[in-house]
Parts: sequence; structure tokens; C-alpha cells
Amino acid sequence: MENREKIPCLELRNVVKRFPGIIAVDHVSFKVEPGKIFCLLGPSGCGKTTTLRLVGGFETVDEGDVLIDNKVVNDIPPYQRDCCTVFQTLALFPHMTVEGNLAYGLERRKVAKDEIRKRVGEMLELVQLPGMENRRPTQLSGGQRQRVAMARSLILKPKILLLDEPLGALDRKLRKEMQVELKQIQRQVGITFLHVTHDQKEALALADIIAVMRQGQLEQVGAPDEIYATPRTRFVADFMGASNIFPGKVIASADGKVQLETESGLRLTASENKDIRSEEVTGISVHPELIELLPEGADMGGDNRFGGKILEMVYQGDFIEMKICLEQTGEIITCHLSSQQAREAQFCAGARVLVHWSPKSSNILVG
Amino acid sequence: MKSWHIGGKTLPVIAVLVYLFLWLPVIILIIFSFSADKFGIRWEGFTLHWYANLLQNVGVRHALRMSVTVAIITMIAATVLGTLAAYGLYKYKFRGMGALRMGSLLPIVTPWVVTGAALLLFYTRVLPIPLGYPSILIAHITFSFPLALFVILGRMQRIDWTLEEASADLGASRLTTWRKITLPLLLPAIIASVMLIFPWSFSDFTITFFVSGIGTTTLPIYVYSQMRYGATPVINTIGTIFVAAPLIAMLLMNFLQRRRAA
Repeated sequence: MENREKIPCLELRNVVKRFPGIIAVDHVSFKVEPGKIFCLLGPSGCGKTTTLRLVGGFETVDEGDVLIDNKVVNDIPPYQRDCCTVFQTLALFPHMTVEGNLAYGLERRKVAKDEIRKRVGEMLELVQLPGMENRRPTQLSGGQRQRVAMARSLILKPKILLLDEPLGALDRKLRKEMQVELKQIQRQVGITFLHVTHDQKEALALADIIAVMRQGQLEQVGAPDEIYATPRTRFVADFMGASNIFPGKVIASADGKVQLETESGLRLTASENKDIRSEEVTGISVHPELIELLPEGADMGGDNRFGGKILEMVYQGDFIEMKICLEQTGEIITCHLSSQQAREAQFCAGARVLVHWSPKSSNILVG
Repeated sequence: MKSWHIGGKTLPVIAVLVYLFLWLPVIILIIFSFSADKFGIRWEGFTLHWYANLLQNVGVRHALRMSVTVAIITMIAATVLGTLAAYGLYKYKFRGMGALRMGSLLPIVTPWVVTGAALLLFYTRVLPIPLGYPSILIAHITFSFPLALFVILGRMQRIDWTLEEASADLGASRLTTWRKITLPLLLPAIIASVMLIFPWSFSDFTITFFVSGIGTTTLPIYVYSQMRYGATPVINTIGTIFVAAPLIAMLLMNFLQRRRAA
């Protein structure tokens, strides 16, 4: 079995990019393994698109290095870098047919005409648009244009494919379908993807590794289940939907559990995490779907049990989002119940309930 | 809901009267260009005689040649300069670009008489430019350049510039991107500016009159000079052509556009 360290397909070392009045990318470093989908996730303005443009060559770094296949590419213009971009606007050439668009990159490389035609045909098959060579971009639907944009980049077999929120303009159903297709295509061609998005669900669905960005810096990098189940900072927890955040400090630890006291005075219990020192802990977060609701009068003993009153119930189709006000501190807890559970328990607004979650569900935050 | 129609019959009547007021002199000119009268001011019977003889008139031939040459050179030069300037002003940031943009407007907002007189003084006192083709060309290009500049700038604001980035991303050098992507996208604006500049240059009188000097005549100046000697049918025929040619061109463009949209 081979045991050599994989050369990262893409690497950023301490990259800084400034614009007048703002640091868009603030000493960012990461590595992307070949053949993986790496997702830059974050809210608008966090610097993820700028980072992507730095890799593509449309902006130049102020400090640090961008390496593709272990070679520094800082000064290499976009048309000489071995990466292709799928733009947010798709940027299909309106004055050319689909075939013209797909052939453009190959023509620049002086590929023979019949070879071009063959590869265009194959690529259209890959993205499930056979026979569309002579259509114009204006004659295509949103999803079709999306696929042509992908095909136009993939046909050049780049080392890295850069995607800038490519599914943003699609409606929800189409977006979900395209996410699946995107992943399938990636698995088929084996090209490394660098994907930028603000949609957590999209990142969770697509990525092999997610890097959450905020104000030009990486907050947390890890596999999707890591980022989702164990966010390390308040920002990441909140961004990934763990909207129950309790700032606090550790006051005791025993039997593999730690006790925290929150700023508001609640006593919470969490499972111990061996890699984190008690002094570093700044609070815990809990995902809404991990919180149980018990009817009033249930046993109050045990970890993480608090009485509260249901403020509102918002129907979401597959689940019901409940807002509960804790009696002890007045904090608002968000809880997701499946529609069936809610029906069985016959909860309604104003009812008094018992909020409960297991110490294993308490996620420890350090930032 | 009260209807906004202005009394059913009144509007068409007023419209017809306005159009008549605007066009009657021209219509009369056109009608009399077909008259056999030697002076072209009375109706003496239908004839195409004057049209047939038009090109045999040496004066007309020379003037026509000059007008067309000047217009074509102006159209090409002004459009090229305008396109380059528009691209530079839009895509780059440099000191003085605001002043450059304002300065480019000057030739159009200055009264033509002032421009013509200023240029004449300039050619004769400051920088010796021979009066004739050189002076006329410089004057025409100076005036047409802003037209091209602003038409193309306007179009540039509606173009998706990530298309240029996409082209570079796919391996095209800057020159290739310019050739294959930018120019085709700018083409409608370039055509529009050509269609503005050619007729203007062809029919300009004021500025050309100041800077053309003795012995060089464009067609409008020829018509003017002919009128000094009294009315002749030449004026009518040339006038009709001046009106008919752009009209036909516009109808043709309209027809072609309609066909492309279908």
C-alpha cells in the first residue's frame, strides 16, 4: 500500500488581499487534496469569492502564495493557469452557439476541428444535453445554461474547477437536483472542485471538506459532519443552524462530563472533550433537532432539563419549529419536532413543557 | 375611470398639421425636382431629366466625391478613436479621467459656429494645417469622436464583463478576447455610432464652411454656392437625394431588424 503524502492540488499560504478600506482575505491558508470537493462557506462579504478569484487569477495577492500542483502561480495570468471557473453569472457567450461556447477553450489550444467536435459531443452527453450544439444561450433554460457553463469548463480537463455560487440563480427543486448531478459529475471526472457558496445545505450536500469563512478568515475547516455536529465557534454554530447558543464557563468536570454555568445562570452538562482544555471553553451550542420536549409534569431531575412555555410553533412541512421561553432565565430555545411527534403530543402555543437534551448533544464551543 | 383620449378627431388633425408644417417645404422641393422648369420653381411637366444629368455636372461630381470621402474617413477614424477611448475610460482608473470625459463633450456642446471659427483661427494662426481635406477631416473627426465615445460608453454599461474574464479563463490572451468577445459585443454600438456619424459628416455645413477654404467644396457647400446664382434644379435634386437616402436606409434597417427579431 502506498504511503506517500499526497501533493495538494491547490494550496494557499498566508494569502492576504486588501481593497481600499478593507482586508478581504486575511492570512488565509488551506490545502485541497486532488480529486476532492472543497467548499468555502460563509455569508456575503466574508471573502470567499475574492479567495476564489485569487486562485483563478482575476485578482493578484498582496501577500502570500497561491500554489497549484505545488507551483507558485501568483504572477501567472488566468489564461495560463490550469484552472477553469464557472462564474456566478455563468458568462456564456451570447453571440455563440452552445457548440461555439464549448469549443472556445479548445480552439485557443489549437485542437483539431474534428477532435473538438467529438469532445463537444461527449461533454454534452456527460451533462445530459445531447444534441443541443446549435442552440443559443438565450434559448436555454436556467438549468440547461448551468450545465453548458459546467461543460465549457470541464471540456478543458483543468486541474481545478472553480465554482462561484453556480446554483444561486436556480429555484430550490432544481438546485437540489443540480447538487446531486454536480457531485456525480465530479466523481466521474475526478477533477478537484473549489466551490464557493453561502448555502449551508449546499455545502453539506456537496463537500468533502468545508471551510467556514468569516470576515476574511477561516473559522473552521473540516468534514461536513464535523462542521455540522461539532462547530467550534459561536459563529460557525449559528451559521450551521445550531441556533441554541449558551455562552458560559466550565465550573466542574467529572465522570466524562463537564458542568457549565451560563452567563444567564443555567447549569448545563456536556460530554467531556479530551482535546479541549476547560479554560478554553466559551459556551455550548445545541442543534434544534436534538432537543426533546416533554409535557409539563415530567421528571425534572437529570441533566439539562428546564421548564418553559411554548411561544410559537412554525409549520415547515417536514418539521415544526418551536420557540420556547425558559422559565428560569427567559432565554428562547429553538426546537424542531417532526410533525408526527407534535401531533401525538398535542402541543399548542402557550402550553408549559419540559425542555431536555442529552449531555452528548451539548456541543462545546471555544470561540 | 376617465379615459385619457383627447377628443377622437382633434388629435389626428393636429398631428397632420404639425407634420405638414415640418415637411411641406421639403415635399415641395421633392415635387419640383421632377419639374421640367429650368429654374426648378414652377411646374412645367414631369421629367427625370435633372436626375439623369446630375452626375454629368462636374461640380456636383467633385463635391459628391469629397463629401463621401470625408464622411467615410471620419466615420472610420472617429469610431476607432471613440471605441478605444470608451474602453479606456470604462475599464481603467487613471488621473484626469473625469477631465478627459468632460473635455470630450466640448465639441458637441459648443455651438457649431464657434467651433468652426475657432478651428479656422487655429489652422491659420496656431498650427498651419492646409485648408481643404486635412482641415475638414480634422474638424469632422473632432466633432464625431464624442458621438462615438458616448454611444459606445452607453453600451458598455449594459455588457456583462465577466464574459471577458470567462474568455481569459478559457485560455484567450487579451488580444484574442478583444477580437472574439469584446468587439462582437460592442458591434451594435459601433454600428449605431457609424449610423450617426456618416449622415452628420455628409451633411454638415457650418463647421465645414469655416474650415474648407477656397476651392474645396463638399456637397452641402456646393448647394449653398449654387443658390447664390439663383435657383437651379440641381438644388432640388440634391435636396431630394439628401432626404430620400437616409429615409431608405432607415426603412431598410427597420425591415432587417424586424426580420431578425422574427
